Amino acid sequence: MRQIIGRLVVWAGCGLALGQAPVRAEAPGLLAIQDARIVTVSGGVIEKGTVVVRDGIIAEVGAAAAVPKGAWVVDGKGLTVYPGLIDGLSTWGIPQAAAAAPAAAGRGGGAPVGGPGGSPAAAPRSWGPQDRPGTTSWVKAADLVKLEDRRIETARGAGFTTAVTFPKQGLVAGHGAVVNLGGETSGRMIVDPGAGLYLSMTPSGYTGYPSSPMGILAYFRQLWIDAGYYRLAKAMYAQNPANVKRPDYDRALEGVLEAKRVLLPAASPVALERILKLASDLKAPFVVYGVVQGYAMADRLKQAGTPVVLNVKWPTRERDADPEREESLRTLEIRDKAPASPAALAAAGVKFAVSSDGIDAPKDVIRALKKSIDLGLKKEDALKALTLNAAEIYGLAGKLGSIDKGKIANLVVTDGDLFDDKTKVKMVFVDGVKFLPPPEAPQTGPGGVSGRPSMAAGEEN
Amino acid sequence: MRALTLLFMLAGLAAAQNVTVIQNGIIHTVTQGTFTGSIVIRDGKIAEVGEKVMTPLGAKIVDAGGKHVMPGIIDCHTHIALDSINEGTISVSSMVDAGEMLNPDSKSIYQALAGGVTTANSLHGSANSIGGRNVLFKTRWGQNADGLLFKQAKPSLKIALGENVKRAGNAQGFQMPGTQSNLRYPGTRMGVEDVIRDAFTRAREYQKELKEYEAKRARGETALPVRRDLQLEPLVEVLEGKRLVHAHCYRADEILMLMRIFDDFGIKGVTYQHVLEGYKVAKEIAARGDGASTFSDWWNYKVEAADAIPYNAAIMQKKGVLVSLNSDDASGAELMRRLNTEAAKVMKYGGVTEDEALAMITINPAKQMQIDKWVGSIEVGKDADIVIYDKNPLSMYSKVEKVFIEGKQYFDRDNDLTARPKVEAQKKGLMQKEKETEKRNMPQTRRTS
Amino acid sequence: MKRIVISIAVLAAPLLAAENATFLIRNATVHPVSAPKMENASVLVVGGKIADVGAKLAVKGKVRVIEGKGLHVYPGMIDSGSPIGLSEISSVRETVDTGELGDFNPQLRAIVAVNPESEAIPVTRANGITAVMATPGAIGGRGSGGGIISGQMSLMNLNGWTWEEMEIRPGAALQMTWPVIVSGGGRMGSARMGARQTTFAEAKRNQEQRVQKLREFFEEARRYQAAKAAGAAGFQPDLKFEAMLPVLAGKLPVMVFAAREREIREAVAWAEKERVKLVLAGVRRPGQMTAEIAKKKIPVILGSTFATPLEEDDPYDEPFALPGLLVKAGVKVAFASFGTQFARNLPYEASQAVPFGLPYDEALKSVTLNAAEIWGVADRYGSVEKGKVADLIVTDGDPLEIQTQIKFMYIRGEQVDLESKHTRLYKKYLARP
Repeated sequence: MRQIIGRLVVWAGCGLALGQAPVRAEAPGLLAIQDARIVTVSGGVIEKGTVVVRDGIIAEVGAAAAVPKGAWVVDGKGLTVYPGLIDGLSTWGIPQAAAAAPAAAGRGGGAPVGGPGGSPAAAPRSWGPQDRPGTTSWVKAADLVKLEDRRIETARGAGFTTAVTFPKQGLVAGHGAVVNLGGETSGRMIVDPGAGLYLSMTPSGYTGYPSSPMGILAYFRQLWIDAGYYRLAKAMYAQNPANVKRPDYDRALEGVLEAKRVLLPAASPVALERILKLASDLKAPFVVYGVVQGYAMADRLKQAGTPVVLNVKWPTRERDADPEREESLRTLEIRDKAPASPAALAAAGVKFAVSSDGIDAPKDVIRALKKSIDLGLKKEDALKALTLNAAEIYGLAGKLGSIDKGKIANLVVTDGDLFDDKTKVKMVFVDGVKFLPPPEAPQTGPGGVSGRPSMAAGEEN
Repeated sequence: MRALTLLFMLAGLAAAQNVTVIQNGIIHTVTQGTFTGSIVIRDGKIAEVGEKVMTPLGAKIVDAGGKHVMPGIIDCHTHIALDSINEGTISVSSMVDAGEMLNPDSKSIYQALAGGVTTANSLHGSANSIGGRNVLFKTRWGQNADGLLFKQAKPSLKIALGENVKRAGNAQGFQMPGTQSNLRYPGTRMGVEDVIRDAFTRAREYQKELKEYEAKRARGETALPVRRDLQLEPLVEVLEGKRLVHAHCYRADEILMLMRIFDDFGIKGVTYQHVLEGYKVAKEIAARGDGASTFSDWWNYKVEAADAIPYNAAIMQKKGVLVSLNSDDASGAELMRRLNTEAAKVMKYGGVTEDEALAMITINPAKQMQIDKWVGSIEVGKDADIVIYDKNPLSMYSKVEKVFIEGKQYFDRDNDLTARPKVEAQKKGLMQKEKETEKRNMPQTRRTS
Repeated sequence: MKRIVISIAVLAAPLLAAENATFLIRNATVHPVSAPKMENASVLVVGGKIADVGAKLAVKGKVRVIEGKGLHVYPGMIDSGSPIGLSEISSVRETVDTGELGDFNPQLRAIVAVNPESEAIPVTRANGITAVMATPGAIGGRGSGGGIISGQMSLMNLNGWTWEEMEIRPGAALQMTWPVIVSGGGRMGSARMGARQTTFAEAKRNQEQRVQKLREFFEEARRYQAAKAAGAAGFQPDLKFEAMLPVLAGKLPVMVFAAREREIREAVAWAEKERVKLVLAGVRRPGQMTAEIAKKKIPVILGSTFATPLEEDDPYDEPFALPGLLVKAGVKVAFASFGTQFARNLPYEASQAVPFGLPYDEALKSVTLNAAEIWGVADRYGSVEKGKVADLIVTDGDPLEIQTQIKFMYIRGEQVDLESKHTRLYKKYLARP
């Protein structure tokens, strides 16, 4: 039981280093947001109501909810309260990932997380699955998350209170964690250290086998076979230690066995078929990420019953393209239709969250969805993608994703509709702790990019 | 009575719904001669072939008057439509499946189709001694990867010898002494033999372990099962005759070497691929009953092709080897669009007959891949995979007009021609739309920066 | 300087007309190419030259007679670009002599590196090809150096004990490649491998710099030309610029590789400005420039027809249809194999385009008379006409059709052996017990 007496001021570490005013966070034990418009996501909109938060948990919500005695009160007139937004697939909170981000051309590109020492020349040569190439299944995002990641503040400023953060280097990168974007300690931030095991099709951190997508698929299969065998061998040994050989401890396989679910990438319908086949062989619950051509995958995803984390960095024309280079109909169509993916997925009944992957300024995640709303996505579905869907996908619907009694008090308070470009985030609550958005124009993404959706070259995935 | 007639007619109509008749064409059956006649296709299969056939009422008629009709072309060795071809980092990569890389969106499938190819064998590359599993598919353009597969066919495995395989085992330029460990074994043809023998030896052991475990289990003993090994599984299938082998090779010495490995392991169902010096060991190949799939006239593009001659196919054929021609296309279907005239080259170089030439791109590759039950000739009961040419397909002046796979028309040159301006218009529209969107967003960019 | 003098002397020397270069082919179907075919006609060759062509020829004295019943006489075919003799095994650099270092090498002559004993010569010849424009520059593939001006292409016969004996025009054209803007890091993949992406602006700058270098080279050559003409004091001879003189004088054509519309547009504008006699090569997507090329009467060397479409949305038959489209627009085309391995398939490069729109007569011309005209030897080569050199093939049919066999071949009236390594190995192994 946490005891918070009076006001606790949390100093966000990186603020000092940047020479900016430190972030002020207030954590009253009991508070109420009164007379606000409340978008619960799970149960519709309360045009005028109150949200009561006690010790970081939503204690009450409703039009008639009473403000308890002794509560700090926020006057919600003219304000809208949303559940805190969730980045469904992120690296926020892992400072090394931020440092590596500008260098990496694609997901998983660039040097290994380990730091500058990991030059490709030093990468080990893999001669087969037994070398466990690019496999760090023992790595946990929960162990890497640091309060100091400066992106946390920016994300919060855009209304994000939670990120499902993954290590991304290598083929079997490690376990993601559901991370609240605020807390006194890094440990406090972790909502669930076992969000799932992140698998990538981009080789890094080794040379040699496997170098091709088909090699990678084969490797995943052998790894899971080996893990299954390892589990069996351990069980048999436990039953009969006298006659069964004691299996060698293998941290790579332990990491695989620990996974509640795996995250598999599929940008296109063709990639999806491959991934579905793989998933059926791995016999593990899975989430498809990196989806770009969602508009063409919706039916198949629905049929497969798999949830999705959608990439919302919509592919754009290369800024510096050869004006005489003819682009293919296929490329043009992908660029034209990609932003219509959320609507297509929603219409097909596919559960999808969205990812900040490839997007520098967190606010641009919301802007990207605004584009999809213009193309027919219902606002409620857009909001769900940013909140409840993510919570459900990662099995945390009881804790996150909507404004319901008993859930974690992750809230965003705005002065208008979330998807209106003019709307400002007035305050954010993470675990019931209030954060004020950073002052005007601090939108310093890793590359110092301004708030516009960046249109970097070659994002066709 | 009238009602009965009507009923009868209706029944006839219903039955004819899935019937197509290709009429009055010069039909090259390949296996049963060439004549002017018609083909009745029912439910995707060839129901009747002959100078005179029964045309059911309501059947779809395709007039092939004056045109040449032949079975769909079968390419025994290509790499088209694969998103990755080689997993060459290790010497034995039999765990990988090129079939998983089949990309149904690849335009090369359409190009091949437009060249009369209806069945294609896309192989793992030749970077290593034992490559991956291959994928046999039909060029059913527009279907997804699963819809392309030739599902009844026996699976196959790629093996490769010679220069391509050795390359990774040979340093480029100067190497510091002692840095050879980064090179991938083997670097010689001797090493290639070693790798293949070793792999099949391990597979045999694995097979034995599996059997021993089964025996233990049958006896009710507690035993740890054998760990599944995805690398060895396909090799065991080869040993058990459940998987065919396509072996990339050039020189006579290495072909002979490989044949002796196969002898020692009792491996049958092999097709030597490229096999440019096959003519030197044609007798030995024929003795094993293996097949050979070669190029018509490639030569001297590398040292191991120095003795390649365009008479290779004809010599092998004359010496009793089952011969086919292949394209080896990779980045696009180039040669696949004209395997018909490649076959004509075997008539030029070595004087095989028209039927023998056509067999090399139809029934022979079908036999090599053991799919001749379904494809490879125009015979009753086979899949209606049929190509219509405007002239004799063995002439340079012919072109494909229509292609049917299982009776369904997948290519029509006239349709292709009329669709071209539509694609252009569609692209223009999309580009215009994009430009307008960009223009709308432009001013904002300026303001914020 | 000395070298050039010698080569001119060789050129001026009379053709070596062998004793046996006198014969009569009779009762054949003669395809002069320059005129309609003649049934039951004869061709009289005297001293290596075509003395007469006609239905009934008066022959004085004793002449060797070749019975041509059922056979056809065509001019020998000309491959308008091949590294034959300079490139033996394309993947082994040691056997390849195309693609010299440096951007500007007009002084290099392909012919001096031609190995008359190349296996490719008899192999290619056996399919009816009697002459080749030997290329000094690499065309794609390995070690593709060769810069902007690769050197002089040499028109040569595929017969001779030495390259001197093979010569037709040792300096028949300059081979050049128009600089291409290469932007991006290739499609997808390569960016991931860490290869730096070249932006379009950057690539364009690089290309413009290369074109600028080309302009400067021509400018320098002109200054050299002027200085030489003026007999300027301290004039120093320079082999590079010496080789440029016939180019500047508009006598020596320049064959420029330019595949796409932009390169073609730039090359055409450049040639006009520099008053260069332009021949385009490797044209693939001329787009709007097609009419322009036709109007300006710029000949085009096509090759290879056996290619896949350049762009994803291009029609499947794009390379097959292009020759017909160009000819319809009024462009004179010739074909080149631009390789050694498949040089023997030159006739099929042309016939492949026939079902896709190239008129047959043009196809035949494109491997005979058109080539001779483009390379400035139509007075001596390219057709079966009185007074021309007797480069002839006698066939059992249309030489553009694969199944046709070449029965006899004459180069300068001399009968040429149609055997090769391929036929020798064929016979040897066919006979293996």
